[in-house]
Amino acid sequence: MPRSRRSRRTLTVVILVVVSLSLISLDLNGRTHSLTSGIKSVANDVYAPLRQGVLDIISPIGNFFAGAFDYGSVQSQNEQLEKTLGQLRASQAEQGFEENQLRELTKLQNLPFLNSLPTVTAQTVDENSSNFTATITLDKGRADGVDVGYPVVGAGGLVGQVIQSFHHTCVVQLVTDGQSKVGVTFGATNQYTGIVDGQGPGNSMTADLVLPHTPLHKGEVMYTSGLQAASYPAGIPVATVQSFHTASGASQETIKVDAAANLSQLAYVDVVQWAPSTT
Amino acid sequence: MTARSILRVALVIFIVLMVQQTVIVALRIDGAHPDLLWLLPITAALLDGPETGAIVGFWAGLSFDLVLPTPFGLSALVGCLLGYAVGSLTAAVDPRATWLKPVAALAGSVAADMLFAVLGAILGQQQMVEINFVSLVLVVGIASVVFVLPVSRLMRWALVGESNRRSLVSAQADSRLW
Repeated sequence: MPRSRRSRRTLTVVILVVVSLSLISLDLNGRTHSLTSGIKSVANDVYAPLRQGVLDIISPIGNFFAGAFDYGSVQSQNEQLEKTLGQLRASQAEQGFEENQLRELTKLQNLPFLNSLPTVTAQTVDENSSNFTATITLDKGRADGVDVGYPVVGAGGLVGQVIQSFHHTCVVQLVTDGQSKVGVTFGATNQYTGIVDGQGPGNSMTADLVLPHTPLHKGEVMYTSGLQAASYPAGIPVATVQSFHTASGASQETIKVDAAANLSQLAYVDVVQWAPSTT
Repeated sequence: MTARSILRVALVIFIVLMVQQTVIVALRIDGAHPDLLWLLPITAALLDGPETGAIVGFWAGLSFDLVLPTPFGLSALVGCLLGYAVGSLTAAVDPRATWLKPVAALAGSVAADMLFAVLGAILGQQQMVEINFVSLVLVVGIASVVFVLPVSRLMRWALVGESNRRSLVSAQADSRLW
């Protein structure tokens, strides 16, 4: 191979590597992140309708085959959903009184109650687009009042937090993502605190910073703490205790928890228009 | 690369991106889905050498970076290095060898995903190494072997007319398979 050609080839690769590293630096730097975020936002505005168009074409074909091969389970799932809906309607009527009391109490403590906060209902258009992150993409963005940092709830609890917001779409980091950390309270009077840590897609989450021998029981629900500078408003179910033990000499309890929200049923979610306090 | 090849490669990248984000992303097994992105630099490098592999890998990676929640530029960096490595390592191999494409697809895709995760962790995205690598390697590796032939066919169409001898030889070898 001629030497000049080899040199040109090496130079091309070096330039591409340098450009890639520069883009990564721009993206990770807090001051220049808005530049790459803006590029992504413009690209997503173009890409989202195209992707939806392709899905509109192929979905009926996929649904036809899925329906034909899976009719029995769809029917039983529908019956189960109708049953659950009936139970929820009944319990909603019963809970009205307790909710009013709780709203009054949380107002007294100056804590935002989830039901008093405005929400934007969004449809999930994409789940786990990367193998390396636990995220979903919603069909609502800045133009619909959805901004970075807003909590997302649905399917029985906290789903995650908006990490990228584009014009008409946004990306939500799920509570199971390895980067997710949620401050929680639990116990009869919410006297205990801890942090629920995501361990990556498909892995059980853990509850950390819980003192050894803290009284717990399997199935106990942990709620967002809403303490000062918290990333979430108080009272959202985050996780349920799956197993726990205290290793001898350990400075904290080892607790495995499951997400309170059913993260396999995220067709529709609510984005809570609540930004974390910056003070 | 000629202007026509550039346009065709851009179209192939767009098609693969759309297929990945609409169909392939739903083929999830144990939390992992196939990754067609890496097949673009691998097939380009096999057809037209390391320089084309690196260029295609960079632009394909950058296109995917626009729609992925991972750090912007990371896929471009890995795609570029992957294309260059595959082109360089297979330079001495007979391009008519039937095992070349499946082996390059399997080894290249798995290596690219590993590099992607490690670089992500180095850049502060610790969660990228906290995934189930066994299922990732199995799903991505096997799917890459399955999908390398259609992607290679698309890439050959895009790079047709390029002067490199490898593309011509490979085209004949491929036509026997199809």
